Amino acid sequence: MSGALLAYIFIFLGIFFESFMLVTFLSKPARTARARPTTTKTPHVALIIPCYNEEDTVELSIKAALRVDYPADKFQLVVVNDGSKDKTWEIMQKFKDHPQILLINQKNGGKHTALNAGIAATTAEIVGCLDADTVLEPDALKRTLVCFDKPNVAAAMSSISIRTPRGLLERMQSAEYTVGIFYRHALSSINAMYVTPGPFSLYRRSVLEKVGGFVYGQQTEDMEMALRLQREGYEIDNMPRALVTTHAMDTLPKLMRQRMRWTSGFFRNVLFDYRDLLSYKHGVLGYLILPFGLIAPIAILSIFSFTIYRILHAIITAFEIRQGIPFDWYFHWPALLHTATWFYTPISIFGLLGIIAAGLGIAMMVVGKRVSNAPTNLFADAICYLLLYGFVAPLWYLRATADVITGTRRGWRIE
Amino acid sequence: MSLATRNVLIALCITIAIGASVIYSVNYLNSLRIKDLNSTQQKLSVDTLSLETQISLLESSPCSIISHTSELTSELDDLGKRLSYTESQLGSNDSQVILLKQQYSLLEIRDYLVTEKFSETCHTNQVTVLYFYSNDKNCADCDKAGYALSYLHDAYPNIRVYSFDYNLDLGALKTLISLEKVGSGLPAFVINNKVSYGFTDLDTLKTLFPKGTFATSTATTTGH
Repeated sequence: MSGALLAYIFIFLGIFFESFMLVTFLSKPARTARARPTTTKTPHVALIIPCYNEEDTVELSIKAALRVDYPADKFQLVVVNDGSKDKTWEIMQKFKDHPQILLINQKNGGKHTALNAGIAATTAEIVGCLDADTVLEPDALKRTLVCFDKPNVAAAMSSISIRTPRGLLERMQSAEYTVGIFYRHALSSINAMYVTPGPFSLYRRSVLEKVGGFVYGQQTEDMEMALRLQREGYEIDNMPRALVTTHAMDTLPKLMRQRMRWTSGFFRNVLFDYRDLLSYKHGVLGYLILPFGLIAPIAILSIFSFTIYRILHAIITAFEIRQGIPFDWYFHWPALLHTATWFYTPISIFGLLGIIAAGLGIAMMVVGKRVSNAPTNLFADAICYLLLYGFVAPLWYLRATADVITGTRRGWRIE
Repeated sequence: MSLATRNVLIALCITIAIGASVIYSVNYLNSLRIKDLNSTQQKLSVDTLSLETQISLLESSPCSIISHTSELTSELDDLGKRLSYTESQLGSNDSQVILLKQQYSLLEIRDYLVTEKFSETCHTNQVTVLYFYSNDKNCADCDKAGYALSYLHDAYPNIRVYSFDYNLDLGALKTLISLEKVGSGLPAFVINNKVSYGFTDLDTLKTLFPKGTFATSTATTTGH
């Protein structure tokens, strides 16, 4: 099968997937879900903040969590220092006398052990995970809690957006997160979520006790937990109007490391530990969402390489045939104007499908911002996304795929 | 039927509709291009026939209508560029492209004959180039040669370039190839009845032209 044919097949599949998401977003269950008012119930909630070398952000995160609009006697923060090598524990001491805060110091054992330690230290009915670099909007908790009005919901999540993105790379991630808001909401309306995002997710304690605590989960304990909940038949819900903000990876190596962990974690979880979910009996998650997640890297690589090949081929050919010809003749205005007619419109099937796919992606971004009121600059984010994503995403997809094939495991972060 | 299955079917219908609309739109645009080229060729065919008739009528002094040729050759040049673009969009094996190329080649040959007649009778200083190319991969230099000739034709008004697909199945073209004794080594150029083969660079190509050809530099004329 030629590369061109593969690229055509994948771009059709991409448009199909985007159409499916849009249709799902517009269907009644999603409309009803996002229109839900804030709940009046106030169960006892404990948010666990696992910290490893978070001296720069932990104070901001704790202070933001304390500003949450929720009865103080029903709300607790459990901050767990997971053997940090920096001043995280010293900074945490500023809050040691706060009546709503419990501090735990443990040897480094990984995020899942910190979460388990936090859960064990509280008796709250709803427990949540809040990353130390994530800031909770005051109404985010109340808004998210409405999801637990449905008895079968085991976990719930909010919208996540990037806090004050700067530069091309951070803006690209901001666009990606805004599209993510749309995706999470559409997927949760048909119970097809395969991750309970680490930055902020809430869990029903009774369910966690039934299915067991967090495990290593191929370095993606949030994804593993979501897949386990799906396997056990629980629902994972989302409230897009609840918003938390997190920070973006500010350099390409850090971003690569994070995305390679996510991608290889997804592959390993789905292909090795939860392969049984790839089945029609698990609904749309089993026959559509997870299989599409598995072929997405091949699709992105295929479409990207085909597009780059065509662009490079055109540039090299143009350069070769123009050698020795006076440079100013290339930009001879009468000749250029002569070609500015409908006849010379450079429209191809692949190009037009690409424009439609990008247009649908931008529509999702607009909708994601509207439903969450995320404080993002859509225009700048979209431009950075369109300029960069096609070039950087194949890098981590390629390396993550290679890691899974070769059995390579990488650390959480660049120290 | 579950909500998700219903959504999958709706999304499938939307995707098929988008795909069909895109394919239809691109094909429609290409059909408009073909229609436009056909119409231009018909007009040029009539114009050429008219010019040939005028020459026959004014056999004793045909030079009085020499100015009529410039407009015709300019349109022929424009047609060539659009045909070349259409070929790049639809591919050189498209049957409609092949038919259009055959008609275009005939128009070129007729224009070449008229130009030669004027050159002989009216002593113009036109330099005509017959350029033979191929779309095969074994003619790697054809694109470069074609581009260099386009530049020369734009930059020097006394150069007229007639380009022909060497492998085109057209009786009149085969006769022209035979008359000019052009072999299969491509690209090939017939400049003032002298055949040469291959292309290295613009400067080497210029040496094939008669002395004085590049003394002026204002554009207009027929070309590739």
